[in-house]
Amino acid sequence: MKTHRLHIFLLLLGLYTHSFAQYSCTTDTCEWDVLNLDEVVITGTRVPKLLKDTPVQTTLLTSKDIERSDATDIQGLLQSELPGVEFSYAMNQQVHLNFGGFGGQSILFLIDGERMAGETLDDVDFSRIDMNNIDRIEIVRGASSALYGSNAGGGVINIITKGASKKCDLDLDVRFGRHADRRYMLSVGSNFTHIQNSFSVTASRMSNYSVHNAPGAEAAVVSTIFGHKTLNVREKLVWKPFDGLKLSGRGGFYMRELPREIEAPDRYRAYNGGVKGEWKIGTEDYLELSYSFDQYDKSQYNGLSGLDIRNYSNVQNSVRTLYNHSFINGSILTAGADYMHDYLMNTKLAGTKKAQDCADLFMQVDWMGSNKWEVVGALRYDYFSDGRMSRVTPKISARYKPVVNLNIRAAYGMGFRAPTLKEKYYEFDMAGIWIVRGNPDLKPETGHNINFSADYTVRQYNITATAYYNHIKNKITTGLPYYLPDTTTQLYLNYENLADYNSCGVEITAQAAWRNGISAKLSYAFTYEKNVRNKEDKEANNQFMPARPHSLTARVGWDKSFSENYSITIDLNGRFLSAVFNKEYVDFYDLSKGTVIIKYPGYTLWKLSVSQKIFGKVRLTIALDNLFNYRPRYYYLNAPLTDGINLLVGASVTI
Amino acid sequence: MKPFTSSTYIFKCLALLTAAMLSGCEGIFNGVYDEPQSETRSTTDGHLYINASGWLEWHYIDLKAVAERVSAYPDFDTSSLWQTIEIPTIETLEESAEKNNEKAGIYFYWYDVFGNGISKQEYMGFTPTKSQPEPEYWTFAVHRNNVRTNGCMVAETDFTSLSQLPEDSDWVSALVFTPDEWNQTDVWTVQDRMLNGIIGSQGIYINRVLSGWLKMVIPPMPPVFEINSHVFILKLPDGTFAALQLEDYMNSSGSKCCLSINYKYPL
Repeated sequence: MKTHRLHIFLLLLGLYTHSFAQYSCTTDTCEWDVLNLDEVVITGTRVPKLLKDTPVQTTLLTSKDIERSDATDIQGLLQSELPGVEFSYAMNQQVHLNFGGFGGQSILFLIDGERMAGETLDDVDFSRIDMNNIDRIEIVRGASSALYGSNAGGGVINIITKGASKKCDLDLDVRFGRHADRRYMLSVGSNFTHIQNSFSVTASRMSNYSVHNAPGAEAAVVSTIFGHKTLNVREKLVWKPFDGLKLSGRGGFYMRELPREIEAPDRYRAYNGGVKGEWKIGTEDYLELSYSFDQYDKSQYNGLSGLDIRNYSNVQNSVRTLYNHSFINGSILTAGADYMHDYLMNTKLAGTKKAQDCADLFMQVDWMGSNKWEVVGALRYDYFSDGRMSRVTPKISARYKPVVNLNIRAAYGMGFRAPTLKEKYYEFDMAGIWIVRGNPDLKPETGHNINFSADYTVRQYNITATAYYNHIKNKITTGLPYYLPDTTTQLYLNYENLADYNSCGVEITAQAAWRNGISAKLSYAFTYEKNVRNKEDKEANNQFMPARPHSLTARVGWDKSFSENYSITIDLNGRFLSAVFNKEYVDFYDLSKGTVIIKYPGYTLWKLSVSQKIFGKVRLTIALDNLFNYRPRYYYLNAPLTDGINLLVGASVTI
Repeated sequence: MKPFTSSTYIFKCLALLTAAMLSGCEGIFNGVYDEPQSETRSTTDGHLYINASGWLEWHYIDLKAVAERVSAYPDFDTSSLWQTIEIPTIETLEESAEKNNEKAGIYFYWYDVFGNGISKQEYMGFTPTKSQPEPEYWTFAVHRNNVRTNGCMVAETDFTSLSQLPEDSDWVSALVFTPDEWNQTDVWTVQDRMLNGIIGSQGIYINRVLSGWLKMVIPPMPPVFEINSHVFILKLPDGTFAALQLEDYMNSSGSKCCLSINYKYPL
C-alpha cells in the first residue's frame, strides 16, 4: 500500500519531468515507450497520470512528434497529427479552427495551463504559440468545462512549454523556404540544483505572395497570401528552495506584423508573465497557487506618419489555486478556485472599454475502484459579473481496464461558453456592408457531450477508437442580416443564440513502432454536423466553414542511428480532407431568394522530410512540403494556402 | 536574520500578486502606442487635410482663395476652405444635360471583387439623378481616392517633394497634361448591394492622372491602397500652375482616404 502512495507522490513530482518514461516498463510493455503511453499527462484531470492510465481520453503530442512532423506552426502540427482538425480563413485571412465540429471559440487553448488573452473572429492568435518552445501538447476531446470553465465545450488543447533539462545547453536553429520564408531560433537553458532557467527567442518572416484563381469561383476566394514578421521571446525561471517547494516565474513578449497594406501593416503584440508556487505537503497533499498576466493588443502602424495607434487590448489578470489530496487507495480529491479580471478595449465596442470579473470554484473526485475501475466526477460553478451570469457544469468519466492492455473509457460532460464582451457590446460599421451589433441579452452557449473510447495495445501496436455525440444549445453567433422597419439601405447583423443542434463523430487511430526504427500512424475521423438553424427555424448564417465529414492523417517514418555520430530520420506525413457542402444564402439583401449549396472541394497534401544528426550536435533538415505540388483551382476560405511544392532547408546546432 | 518559514514565502508571493494585479488591470506598456489625433485637423500654408472617406460627398477647394487668405493671414487654417457637397443619389425623372451619352446619375456595375478584381466588371443598371452641384469657385475636388478638377489639366512628375521643384516654371511647359475624362465606374457611391459585388458609381468627369495619387487595389479583399507620392502639376484654365502631392491617406485611427496634401500655388 505504501508503494502505491509513493507512486502517486512520484507522479505529482513528475509534473514537468519525463522521469516516468520507464514506469511499469516490463518485458511485454517496453514497446509502449515509443508510443508515448508511459508519458505523464495532466490536462484531463488536472492530476498527473500516465497516458495509458488516464481516465479521460487524451491525445499526446511529444516534442519528438513535433520534430518528426516538421511543422513550423501550430496549425500545421495539429492538421498533420489529428484528423478532424481544419484551419480555415476569414476574408482578411484571420485564422479559424474547426475541430470535430467545434469552432475555435469552443476549444480552449492553454499555455502551461493558462488561458490566452485576445481573439480575432473568436480564435486566439495561433502565431503566439512558439513551436520551438513546446515540450508536449495534450489534447482532451469533449466537454471539459467542469474543470476549465467557459470555452472548453469542445475540448482543451494544453501546450506545455519546455524547461531546462541539462546543466547548460544552447540551441540554434535556422530554417528557409519559399517566399522569403525565414526562421531563426535561439534557446539557452541552465539547470542547477535549486535553479533552472530557460530563455528562448524566435524570429520569423515571410513575404506576401499572390495566387491565381480559375474563372467561375462560386464563393469568396483569396488572391494574396499575406506574409508576416514575428518575434517571440520567452523566459522561465524555476527555483526550488527545498524539497517539495517549487517557485517559478515567467515572462514573454510577442509581436507580429501583418502587411495587408505595405504602408499600414497590422500589428499584434502580447505581453505575458506569471508566478507560480507548487508545494508538495508530505506524500499526500499538493497545493498550487499562481498568478498570471496576459495582454494582447492590436494596432495599425501608419508608415507614412509614423503613428502606431492601438485599436484593441484584452488584458487578463488571473489568480488560481489548486489542491490535491491523495488517499490510501489511490483515489484523489481535487479542489480549486480561480479569479480573473477581464478587461477589453476595442474601438468597435459601444463605449470602447468594458471589464468584468470572473470567478469559479470546482471540485473533482478521482475514485480508484480497483485496478480495473476508475471513476472521476467533477463539478464546477462559474460566475461572470457582467450580467451576473452563473453556470454549474458537471462531468463524469470512467475508465475500465478488463485486461492489462485494453482501456475502455466513457464520459459525460457539460460544456459552456459565456458570451464574450465583444459579443455583448459590439457596435460598428463593417466596411459599409452592415452594422454589427452585440446583444447584452445573450444566453451562455451550453452543450452536452457523451464520449466513448477504447484503446488496445499489444506489443508495438496500438489502436484507439473514439465516438462522441454533442447536443448544443444556444450557440452564439451572428444572425441573419436585416433592415430596420421601412428602410432598405442599411443592413444590420446582430449576435444571437441559435436553436439546438447536434453533432457527432468517430475517430480511429492505429499506430505501430518497430525495433528497426520504422513507425507508422494512420488516423481517420468522421464528423457529422447538422445544419444549424436560428430560433425562427430559418437556415442560420454560418460565418465559418462547416467541418469536413471525412478526414485522414497518415505518417510513416524511419529512424536509424548508424553510430554515435550519425543518425537519420525520414518521415512522410500526409492528410486527406474530403469535400464539404455548405448551404449559403443566395442574396443577403433578399433572404426570400433562399439558399444554395456550395461545394468546397477536398484535397490531399503530403510532406517528406529528411533529418540527419551529425556528431550528436548538428541537425540538417531538408523537407518537401506539398510533395505532389497541389494547387487549388480556387483558393476558397478553407483551401490550403499553398501555391505548390515548397523546399524547406534547415539546420540546428545543440551545444 | 529572519528564520525561514514557508508562510513567509507564501505571504511574499501573495503581496507580489496583489501588487502586479493592481498595476496591470488595463494593461502595461501603454506608452508604446501613439494617441489618435483630432479628426478635424488645422493646416497652415503649403498643407491641406480633408477626411474624404465618405462615399457620398465631394470636397471642393479653391487654391486661389487659399493663396489669398494665406497671403493676408500667414497662420490661416487652409483646411477650413474645403466645401463639402453631397452626391445626388435620388432618382429623378428630369433629363439631365447629355453630352456624348454621358448622363448624370448612378451607374450600377457588378465587380469581380473575389475573382479577377475590379478591372473585370459588368453593367447592371442606371439610376438618373441630378447633376453634381458645384461651388462657384473651385480648383479641384476629392472623393475618397478620386480627384476631379475645374477645367484643369494634370501632369505627373518624377519629383517626390515640393522642395525639389525648380525655381523657375519654364520646365512645366515640357510636361504632357491630361484633362478630366468621363467615368462611370470609379466614383463608388452606392454600397447597399456591395455584398453581392454590385456597386453604384457616379457618372462624372474625373482626372485619371491626379486620381493616380491613391490607387485602390482589389484583390485582395478587403482592398488595399497604394499611394503615389510623386508631385503632380495642375495647369489651371487661367494659365497658372499649382503643384500637389499626396503625403498621407490615413488618419491616426487608420481610416483610409483621409488625405494630407502638400501644395504650392502659384508656381
